[in-house]
Amino acid sequence: MTDAIVSVEDLRIQFPTQNGRETVKAVDGVSFSVQPGETFGIIGESGSGKSTLGRAVVCLQKPTEGRVLHHGTDPNSLPGADLRRRRREYQIIFQDPNAALNPRMTILRSVREPLDIIGTAPRVERERIALGMLDLVGLPAEFAARYPHELSGGQKQRVNIARVLTVRPKLIVCDEVVAALDVSIRAGILNLFADLQREFGLTYLFITHDLAVVSHVSSRIAVMYLGCFMELGPPEALLRRPLHPYTQALLSAEPIPLPSSMRTGQRIILTGEIPSPTNPPSGCRFRTRCRSAQDVCAAEIPTWREIEPGHFAACHFAGSATGTRS
Amino acid sequence: MNAADPLLTVRGLSVFFRAGLDVVQATSGVSFAIQPGERLGIVGESGCGKTVTGLALLGLLPRASSRVTGSAMFEGQDLISLSPGQLRRVRGRKISMIFQEPMSALDPVFTIGSQIGETIRTHFGVDRGAARRRAIDALASVGIPSPERVHDSYPHQLSGGMRQRAMIAIALVCEPRLLIADEPTTALDVTIQAQIIDLLMDLSARTGTALLFISHDLGVIAETCTRMITMYAGEVVEDAPVDAALVRPRHPYTSGLLRSLPRLSPRGAALPSIAGRVPSLRDMPAGCRFAARCHHALPDCDKAQTLSEVEAGHFVRCWRHDVLELPGALTDLERVA
Ligand SMILES: Nc1ncnc2c1ncn2[C@@H]1O[C@H](COP(=O)(O)OP(=O)(O)OP(=O)(O)O)[C@@H](O)[C@H]1O
Ligand SMILES: Nc1ncnc2c1ncn2[C@@H]1O[C@H](COP(=O)(O)OP(=O)(O)OP(=O)(O)O)[C@@H](O)[C@H]1O
Ligand code: SF4
Ligand code: SF4
Ligand SMILES: [Mg+2]
Ligand SMILES: [Mg+2]
Repeated sequence: MTDAIVSVEDLRIQFPTQNGRETVKAVDGVSFSVQPGETFGIIGESGSGKSTLGRAVVCLQKPTEGRVLHHGTDPNSLPGADLRRRRREYQIIFQDPNAALNPRMTILRSVREPLDIIGTAPRVERERIALGMLDLVGLPAEFAARYPHELSGGQKQRVNIARVLTVRPKLIVCDEVVAALDVSIRAGILNLFADLQREFGLTYLFITHDLAVVSHVSSRIAVMYLGCFMELGPPEALLRRPLHPYTQALLSAEPIPLPSSMRTGQRIILTGEIPSPTNPPSGCRFRTRCRSAQDVCAAEIPTWREIEPGHFAACHFAGSATGTRS
Repeated sequence: MNAADPLLTVRGLSVFFRAGLDVVQATSGVSFAIQPGERLGIVGESGCGKTVTGLALLGLLPRASSRVTGSAMFEGQDLISLSPGQLRRVRGRKISMIFQEPMSALDPVFTIGSQIGETIRTHFGVDRGAARRRAIDALASVGIPSPERVHDSYPHQLSGGMRQRAMIAIALVCEPRLLIADEPTTALDVTIQAQIIDLLMDLSARTGTALLFISHDLGVIAETCTRMITMYAGEVVEDAPVDAALVRPRHPYTSGLLRSLPRLSPRGAALPSIAGRVPSLRDMPAGCRFAARCHHALPDCDKAQTLSEVEAGHFVRCWRHDVLELPGALTDLERVA
């Protein structure tokens, strides 16, 4: 579809290793597009490339190969002023609530700062917008004069959200934005993201390693492993009928707070660890930990196929009984 | 000792810290008991005193800036009044502790093998060769695939999951009666977390080691423990069998924690959250510490609350426990079924 707010086309991002002799394939051939107003969730284990992908979407990371398009155009091909405007429309919020806050600035100044940098509106107007945003994220005016160390983690994350909202973004990459917060606080922040989406028609790229969170907020979920998507689909289908063995293992590993009598099913415990992204396994990169792996899995890279409408997977056997190749 | 005697009985444990000219109280009158072989969980949000409680039991808090009152009876000795020398003999031998970040407990300049061998030689007085064999066995018993290689590796050469396994091997090599595990899987990926939980459950079943499992993750506690304690602002507010606490919590805070979990709300629906924040250590209310955030608060909640037994083995610090019908971790459908 051409009205996608973001389309990612065969994106590859590589970094040299510390000794410079090898390359880390952080993102290794990912394609997807995000429609305006949706929440696109990305789940995956540590080092799978989620943050690198998120940074590429907001132009903080240059692709090694492939493209990231904003509304069908490559932002890096735009003239300077347009690129800057475009970059304001695509924002990112990080896990650490302290990361974007200067400990020596008042909350109000931190929230106002992005507008100060643009520098077009008069100061009173910038102040007014900043106060309005603080109010919107549930922080009363008394917080404006405080400093970050006087706020809790959840309150600081609200400040970060207010700060990003001042520049009227269209899309926000939320990179583990609730991971550092307590469960009781986490719920309030997730509700806030949902309210803001309704109010401003925001689009989110929601990156997390928390399955419960990603399934609550997302309209589609992509499962990432070693720089590639393994599966992509709407949450209902992906959670009830996961097609990829990795998704199945992730779902089964999730600890669930249910009484012992109500917990069902034998847990799939993956053996081994994630291989190094400098030298991913041949064929299917999940094969070293996959219970269903066959000879073909080492020899051939599984193609990314649409198994059911809107539900994609990269496994030779997805959608067929295990053991018989589709 | 008769069979019903707890392995550890903690009574009125309070931890104080010196902060500048002031003294702040991090925990107040924490009391609980662990039976031999039992797996007890402690949940509660950041800063509620979980770690401090574990450290206090082992005398690991900074001596110069902290003070501990109360008692912790373990095999006829009060851990709180033992000398540092006596505590060293208990630590590692009878009670071990593992942490969220193994790097903080492992010494970066020594190999895994020399650290585990040190523990073995200290407690058993065996020679190097015997210690090495025992260390390699211990590493193999926690599912490390090539124990000889790991034995001769430095901590930074191992992945997070392997380091956690190595720390568990060190903690369990002397077959302690109690293992205190402080967020041992929080820094790990969910598939590695599943491996470590599996390992801990298996080891505790095999060796009869009791487990004090500290975590903010209710799912992890539900899967590993048989009892759970909920802490809030330095106090125990609920102490109950896990299944009872999940199905019918009796304290509004426990209920609130469970209800805020995303799995209980339809996708996209607003999540029940607990508004407000934990009171500061310097400004603790005299009455119920949860009152400012509690939907069920009444004027009388400003009186100090005591932990009382409301059913056999189920303790709650809330005078309204009798009249409140609080939802737990089940969806409406699951509750009917
Ligand atoms: N600037 C960089 N230089 C070198 N390597 C990098 C850089 N950024 C990321 N990497 C590597 O790329 C891989 C993917 O990293 P990334 O941070 O995107 O993963 P992630 O999925 O966000 O993980 P986490 O869940 O731990 O945040 C990792 O192996 C990482 O070490
Ligand atoms: N060495 C110390 N000096 C002063 N205060 C301390 C010290 N250690 C802990 N505290 C305080 O004691 C309280 C309890 O801390 P503790 O580390 O036990 O919390 P926790 O429940 O383990 O939290 P988390 O989930 O974040 O690990 C906190 O308010 C903390 O700031
Ligand atoms: S392609 Fe083979 S190894 Fe990969 S997930 Fe499918 S069955 Fe497993
Ligand atoms: S004592 Fe009152 S304020 Fe405290 S938990 Fe019970 S009902 Fe709520
Ligand atoms: Mg990341
Ligand atoms: Mg702690």
